[in-house]
Amino acid sequence: MTTALSHYLNIIRDNLRLDPQSEREVISELETHIEDELEKLEEAGLSEEEASSTCARLLGSAKLVARQVYEAHSQGSWRQALMASTPHLLFGLIFALNWWQGISWLLVMLVLILATVVYGWWRGKPTWLFSWLGYSLIPVVVAGLLLLYLPKGWSWLAIILYLPLASWLVYTITVQTIKRDWLYSSLMLLPVPIVVGWFIAVGLEGRFPEFSMERLHEFASWVGLSFLALGVSVAIFIRLRQRWLKIAILTIFGILTLSLVAGYAWSQIGLQTFLVLILLTLSIFIIPALLERRIKYGRSLAEKQVR
Amino acid sequence: MAQRRELIKGNADSLLLYLIGQQPMYGYQIIRELEKRSQGYFQFREGTLYPALHRLEKSGLILGKWQTLPSGRQRRYYYITEKGQRLLVIKMSQWQDFLTAMNLIIRPTKA
Repeated sequence: MTTALSHYLNIIRDNLRLDPQSEREVISELETHIEDELEKLEEAGLSEEEASSTCARLLGSAKLVARQVYEAHSQGSWRQALMASTPHLLFGLIFALNWWQGISWLLVMLVLILATVVYGWWRGKPTWLFSWLGYSLIPVVVAGLLLLYLPKGWSWLAIILYLPLASWLVYTITVQTIKRDWLYSSLMLLPVPIVVGWFIAVGLEGRFPEFSMERLHEFASWVGLSFLALGVSVAIFIRLRQRWLKIAILTIFGILTLSLVAGYAWSQIGLQTFLVLILLTLSIFIIPALLERRIKYGRSLAEKQVR
Repeated sequence: MAQRRELIKGNADSLLLYLIGQQPMYGYQIIRELEKRSQGYFQFREGTLYPALHRLEKSGLILGKWQTLPSGRQRRYYYITEKGQRLLVIKMSQWQDFLTAMNLIIRPTKA
């Protein structure tokens, strides 16, 4: 196969964003198609170069082919939609039913989340895994927020130990996710601005934990509602085919849920913090997309050097 | 040409189901077969065939299976499923009705 056709297949591979098994199958199928086509064109008297360019022209735009194949595969079943929205719905129920006060329920949730994440990762990272993966990062986020309440003089602990460790963990998982599809890392990070928003709403007074627990009790049903809204958005996300619609639904629901948080706890959050949280929400879409571009650019540069 | 492309696009699923329903086929073979049987009228943009096949497969209308040829080359053959066959019967009947109605208008029999 000529360099031009290998490049053609690389563009398709970069834009497919499917699970590794499906990606391999699509590329192999196109490879055999190209081999058949080249054979026929060369038999008709075309040179290798002419046959390659004709073959690429007959196949059409590589990005368009990749997008159409993606759309053929991107719609998840209702079962997958339910599976992906389950962690949000469970968190929503825990708050709506006031079970959050029992440490045993939270531990059960944590074990369930970690077990599901390990299972999903082992099963080849299906789409539903990524919303569970996000919740497996919650202990990291909460630990960081709790460090804000350390007595004075202990902040070194956060700087030396927590920040590098937490950043490394979140970065590693995010990059692994981005390699599959940057949109899944946005799906994974979707609850982060909401969790941070509620944390600020209940705990800014600095009288942690008694005062915050009292306030959380007051906010619980709204916290539950915000997680239920996330669950609905994730279910819609899984059922949609078009990529731009998937991005739109997550962004709109993310901002609407954040507005719900801010609307209920406006006196604690205020305009400035609300805008920062909106920026945080937008950054969970923009940063993974940019990181993916960088990873792909690095990969294509490495391929060129090999050639 | 654009109108023809739209016509093909609108009926791609029926054409693919019909061909695969007759015998299991792989992508390249489908394109050549469509071109041959329609005497060049149906010319698929080759890249768009695979998304269409994968969509049909996702809907459970066809099933793709890898097969190794004696030459060692691997090909993905598509088979029609029972669900696909049921849909094909409905689509064929719709086409027949449509053709009959069209003929009644453009080729009216003299009374």
